[in-house]
Amino acid sequence: MSLLDWRRTLSISRKEVRHVRRDPFTLALALGLPVLLVTFFGFAIDFEVRDIGLSVHDQDDSRASRQLAEVFSSSGFFRLQKAEDPGRLLRELDSERASAVLVIEPGFGKDAGAGRGASAQLILDGADNTRASAMLGYLPGITAAAQARLLGSAPPQPARLRTRFLYNPELNSRWFVIPGLTVVVVGLLAILLTALTVAREWENGSMELLLSTPVRPLEIILGKLLPYVVLCFLGAGVVYLTARLGFGVPFRGSHLLAVAAGAMFLLACLSWGLLISVATRQQQLAMQLSLISGLLPSLLLSGFVFPIESMPPFFQYFTSILPQKWFMIVARGEFLKGAGVLDLAKPLLALFVMDAVLITAALKRFKRDLEP
Amino acid sequence: MSVGVETSGLRKRLKANEALSGVTLSFEPGVLNGVIGPDGAGKTTLLRVLIGLLAPTEGTVAYSVDGRPAGFDAIRPGMAYMPQQPSLYPDLSVREHLEFFADLYRLPAAVYRERSEELLRVTRLERFQDRRAGRLSGGMYKKLGLMCALLQSPSLMLLDEPTNGVDPISRREFWELLGRVTARKVTVIISTAYMEEADRCARVHLLEAGKVLASGAPAELKRERGIKGFAELFLRLGGAA
Repeated sequence: MSLLDWRRTLSISRKEVRHVRRDPFTLALALGLPVLLVTFFGFAIDFEVRDIGLSVHDQDDSRASRQLAEVFSSSGFFRLQKAEDPGRLLRELDSERASAVLVIEPGFGKDAGAGRGASAQLILDGADNTRASAMLGYLPGITAAAQARLLGSAPPQPARLRTRFLYNPELNSRWFVIPGLTVVVVGLLAILLTALTVAREWENGSMELLLSTPVRPLEIILGKLLPYVVLCFLGAGVVYLTARLGFGVPFRGSHLLAVAAGAMFLLACLSWGLLISVATRQQQLAMQLSLISGLLPSLLLSGFVFPIESMPPFFQYFTSILPQKWFMIVARGEFLKGAGVLDLAKPLLALFVMDAVLITAALKRFKRDLEP
Repeated sequence: MSVGVETSGLRKRLKANEALSGVTLSFEPGVLNGVIGPDGAGKTTLLRVLIGLLAPTEGTVAYSVDGRPAGFDAIRPGMAYMPQQPSLYPDLSVREHLEFFADLYRLPAAVYRERSEELLRVTRLERFQDRRAGRLSGGMYKKLGLMCALLQSPSLMLLDEPTNGVDPISRREFWELLGRVTARKVTVIISTAYMEEADRCARVHLLEAGKVLASGAPAELKRERGIKGFAELFLRLGGAA
């Protein structure tokens, strides 16, 4: 007796397709939501910190002090505003009117003109460390520009480090965000879609009838997975087109490799959703668990926003159980770097192992009876 | 083939409650066997144990084919079950349900065509085959459930309160359908809370609070106990208990 009967498996798939076709919500969720989320968040999320409020308290009011302020302004990162009252400088930061305060003391212009090492103080709001870190990153360039402006020429450099950005020469934040967002959105969609399928059968009583027929758990699991793999691929395709045509993100890798890796990623996420559905048997609980487990880890622990290398060792290992972490590497590698199979061997292997583990877990957890 | 079922000392504990308390019964092959009892008597639990959806906490279920002992796995392909709760897909049509179950039972196309046409004709659902299950009347819905169960020509059918909540005319039609089934020597085990339906069975088992109160042919039981209907017997036996 074979383990799997394809007629029964495809019959389950056909039934699922009929459910999906007749449920506009599922179709809208699968095809509309990814585009909406990628477009919305693609515009909203920008890792480049701009428009930083900088309050300038210029006690010198010299040509040099005004030039210094202008350097900040012309960098494009800072929005300048005057702060006249010295007693209220910190209030600028407390009230969030500004994220930094530039204090230029009297004599700045004279010291600069005499080459005595004029100095000004920059007070940064450290409460928002992301913004503070970004400002610190901008400072070397601004300092160099200020020196050149005040001296009338660039200062001599005994040694110079030449930098060149590969894959994203303009450091376009969207090129980095969109592939990552694709992983988060498609992964969440896959988990959500299958999390309800088995739970719905339990809740509406059809599972009792289904289990009384000769159909086997593997046939139910595979039969339910297949249509959603196709549906998620359609969703992923729409997201791909949005990324390429809407945001101009380049794709330098192999489409074949991306599709193969995408199938492995989708299978892992769909199996995860199915495992939740099989274990909970309740639609509401399944929905809540899939949202929590599908959204938060993929946003915070997949490397989408925060580099995994910066996390404590335990969390670095912990993130390895997330399919999103591995497909994030594949997606960025394929979109921006044109990575090949060998470059992506580790994430591909990890996704393969996850597929096997999650499908086995869903099968093991699938009960052939009505025992509570 | 004629399938017989016997249970011995069957107990089933569901969380804190004992749904079945030492049920020993014999279901006669090839006839209509009724499990009669009020709500909460343990009828559904008994049928779920018989179909293998629940495992007994204690006791055994023995199956036989033409008088010879047979294992559950040998009987299983010929078993059909109709749960008490609505269990069909509201968004699938009558025809789509039949196709789905034909695939699950791996019926050859010609056999499916022949049986589905016959079942649609007998149940008078031919005109409604494109109607979705969620839009069928209560009686039609039950008939569709029965059709799905009958599609594979089972040798053992377990029907859990199939006429519950159905109007009297549809109930009568349903029993006529069951009459056709038993004419083919199919063993039918049907549970019901309608006492008057017991008279339609060849043999009945009266169940209350997980215990068997009495078993036998309906007329025989009534004569022995000197009663006109089973409701009276339940009241009397239940009161004595």
